[in-house]
Amino acid sequence: MRIKRVLILAPVVLIIVLLQSYFWVPTYDQQTRGNPHRLNTYITASIGDASLLNPVLSSDSASSAIENMVFEGLIDRDEELRFRGRLASSWEIYETAFFYVNDSADLPGIGKANPETVANLINTARKDKTGLPPALAETLDHLTDVRVLPPVAFQVTRTEKGPGPNASAASISIRVNAPARISLTLDRVDQRLFQNLRHLLGRDYFDTFSGERFLDSSPRVPKEKLSVYAGELLPAVEHNPVLVFHLRPGVKFHDGHTLDAHDVRFTYEAIMDDKNLSPRTSDYEPVKAVEVIDPLTVKVVYKRLYSPAVGTWGMGILPEHLLNREALRREAVALGKNPDAFTLRDSNFNRRPVGCGPFRFREWKSDQYIALERFEGYWEGAPQYREYIYRVIPDLLTQEMEFYAGTVDSYAVEPHQVDRLKEDPRFQSFSGTSFGYTYIGYNLRREPFNDVRVRRALSMAIDTEKIIRFVMHDQAERITGPFVKQTEYYDRKIAPIPYDPEGALALLKAAGWKKNSEGWLEKDGRRFQFTLITNSGNEQRKAVLAVAQDGWKKIGIDVRTDLLEWSVFIQERVNKLDFDALVLGWRMGIDPDLYQIWHSSQTAPFRLNFVGFKNPEADDLIINIRQEYDYQKQVEYSHRLHQIIAAEQPYTFLFVSKWSAVLDRRIVIKETDASGHEVFKKIKPTPTGDYTFYFNRWIKLPEAPRFAEDG
Amino acid sequence: MMSFIGRSFAQKTITLVFVSIISFLIIHLAPGKPSQADPLNPKFTPEMVERFRQAFHLDKPLHVQYFYFYRDLFTGRTVSWKDNRSVLAKILERFLNSLPLFIVGTILTWTLSFPAGIRSAIFRGSLYDRTTTFISYLLISIPGFFFAYILIIFVVTRFHVPVIGMETFGVANAPWPNVIMDRIWHLLIPAVLGATVGIAELSRYVRSQMLEVEGQDYVRTARAKGLPPDQVHYKHALRNALLPFVTMFGLILPGLIGGSVIIESIFSWPGMGRMAYEAILARDYPVILTVNFVSAVLVLIGTFISDLMYMLVDPRIRL
Repeated sequence: MRIKRVLILAPVVLIIVLLQSYFWVPTYDQQTRGNPHRLNTYITASIGDASLLNPVLSSDSASSAIENMVFEGLIDRDEELRFRGRLASSWEIYETAFFYVNDSADLPGIGKANPETVANLINTARKDKTGLPPALAETLDHLTDVRVLPPVAFQVTRTEKGPGPNASAASISIRVNAPARISLTLDRVDQRLFQNLRHLLGRDYFDTFSGERFLDSSPRVPKEKLSVYAGELLPAVEHNPVLVFHLRPGVKFHDGHTLDAHDVRFTYEAIMDDKNLSPRTSDYEPVKAVEVIDPLTVKVVYKRLYSPAVGTWGMGILPEHLLNREALRREAVALGKNPDAFTLRDSNFNRRPVGCGPFRFREWKSDQYIALERFEGYWEGAPQYREYIYRVIPDLLTQEMEFYAGTVDSYAVEPHQVDRLKEDPRFQSFSGTSFGYTYIGYNLRREPFNDVRVRRALSMAIDTEKIIRFVMHDQAERITGPFVKQTEYYDRKIAPIPYDPEGALALLKAAGWKKNSEGWLEKDGRRFQFTLITNSGNEQRKAVLAVAQDGWKKIGIDVRTDLLEWSVFIQERVNKLDFDALVLGWRMGIDPDLYQIWHSSQTAPFRLNFVGFKNPEADDLIINIRQEYDYQKQVEYSHRLHQIIAAEQPYTFLFVSKWSAVLDRRIVIKETDASGHEVFKKIKPTPTGDYTFYFNRWIKLPEAPRFAEDG
Repeated sequence: MMSFIGRSFAQKTITLVFVSIISFLIIHLAPGKPSQADPLNPKFTPEMVERFRQAFHLDKPLHVQYFYFYRDLFTGRTVSWKDNRSVLAKILERFLNSLPLFIVGTILTWTLSFPAGIRSAIFRGSLYDRTTTFISYLLISIPGFFFAYILIIFVVTRFHVPVIGMETFGVANAPWPNVIMDRIWHLLIPAVLGATVGIAELSRYVRSQMLEVEGQDYVRTARAKGLPPDQVHYKHALRNALLPFVTMFGLILPGLIGGSVIIESIFSWPGMGRMAYEAILARDYPVILTVNFVSAVLVLIGTFISDLMYMLVDPRIRL
């Protein structure tokens, strides 16, 4: 019967065709050991694909991993996480500060003074410091130049929306007759400059200056509005920190074009261009101007003191000649698109980037792999590996299989696998603490979380060690505060809160909570009851939820728990401040700036200080850390801030997780010693745990080497 | 006939308009915002989130957004929010990747199910019938991902050949017959995996349909005439049992674009299902909505085709 035969034969033939292909496929052995090329290729795997390979436009981790290889920033962090020069061979930080001459203030011992007198007073003090307070004397030591800037007049226009949602915008023109100004140049950045100058110019010299007198608006605006304008247009004092970068001469982009200061300025402009929708604008908003001094010198002037700004120059530098307006225009015309609407976001550059990093881009197959090859003209010498391949393997188990088979060189180990893989003789393993922590945050606006004793008691009732042991498989460490644990900003002297249910009960008793007949804690007839929430889809947080609930129940607190879908959790509960307590995590940058998460100005809905932490001393410290450019002082302030936050316990700081990675044992560091011989060394992580720091010197050997230290 | 085509076209267009409105509303009313503006990242100030909303027209009323979206879709200007690439180009690329999987899977399913199911029906209650029933339900109830893992581990550890991806990684420099054979090899496991579950399900339907038809008078008559058994089963019985399968066959068309999220993820296959799934997680509205729209179109085309096929298999049906 024909039909039957077709129905059976067709699939059988098809399957035979499919099966016979087995004999054509290279085995893993042929791919990895039989292929000499394989030793020059480093292959890594990721669960997600990159989005846009342009450091200005993307902020996802997959894109960043490639961008770090293809692009290079002016500076980056060294083994100790301090800044070191990359495209910039060196840099200086100093500041120019300004203040308006206050003709209504009395100078001590002089009375009303004109601009020249004020400048002279400062200059005299610079020469003769006898009798001056030591802080002022120190500030004056660093003063290099004092100048009087003559009065200027200028005109600005502001558009102001009227009251009500539908009011039309009115434009207000403001005439400013700015008085004389004194400019001070220092050889460092000093946030206490004006505070110290008060000793010389009188305590109220800067406070009593009011700019409204020098403004003239048409049409007239209310007095309050005018004083807002005065604050913006004529601030009594102004710090302008300046960063001067000296670029390394002769650095080339992958297309052979030489990098110069214009590329740096172009990168800045690309970030700030509204059309590009760069996710990095907030980092560069404090920049006042980026000036090209000469092809190898860039000067960045800031509007105000903002020390995290230094770190932002680790950002990859874009090649101006490929992306400036004319280049984009040409590309748009070539693609047949409207040149006026064509932006950096539309450019094909984002799919085949050109930078000046150690690897140049070769190929990108969406959701399969991104292939890079080494850049022979890299300024620091080409990397050892010829190729760098970033494979997209969305499934972790498949990643693991590919790693065992040798077609992926590294594998990020899951906590429960660490014990098994750490001792495997085929691999070398690395581990370290990550830049982030998991915590339980309390809504400090609500009873009873507004009482520090209660928060402390809640922290004491949770057995964090147990969470680390059983939930995290020992792949976590305790953390006591908001800084990255491997930096010096983190104060290691602060002891974690011990697990102490008895002590917790005592604290709660002091706060007025007593056990009732059913064993629940009660105060004024109300039971201690609240809901702990977190997002669904994260098994670790879910387990933390259970452990915390159990610990609190044991001391008589009635805790409900709830899991919410991520976006509902964020939009409906966190952003709207509608929660009692929640389990969440922060991923941190190295910089100690904590403004968004801990400053009291950020407690409104949709801001990140959603627990509502307010502490005047902490606020001052946060601002001081932000404004301080001296590392040691930042460390001092951070330790104090850490102490305050640890004492206040707005969060129960739980743990920072540890990552583990395994690498093929045959991968080593290759160096050339003084006599020109090749030397192989074992890969050692930096003190802060980064094992990929020397990646450019890695190479894979045909056989696993034996090192002296192995014994 | 022509009037049927005309009527059906008009009806389906109206359905499509409603589908487009409803899918648009569902996406926009669901919680979650495009992830390029992550609200929990300190680097994203509320002002920036607002700017993203404006750039993507998310600040406009829903009906205006709806108009913008479908205007862009029909003029081919829709771009993904993730990487600014044209959505249609992305879908075409993924569609071509998913197509071989779909074709092989479909051929295997729609051929093998029939002999397997028919044999079960003929020898109802026999050892063969009971064994296939057992295996079928086993395959239907084992989660696909589990089965896939077992197969991968088995093949990789036993035969030491790569199975994931569309081709062996790094094989591109090989001569072309090897490249083609390599691609075919990578097709084998995911396609067979998809087909086994399909066969398990479809052969059950075939069995029950055949059981119903086998008891009919005309089948007995055919047998009484002394026709060979195969002709009785495959000609007289099967033709009459075929009607429900026509509907099912029309509905496999949307599978073209749906792909399989789980199989594609496990096998690192850069296909449609994976793209759509990742777009949903990232709230990449243009991609989600376009995939949705295209699959709605395919469903409607599928029902249209099955309507036409009814006429073919059953001359009594007049449209």
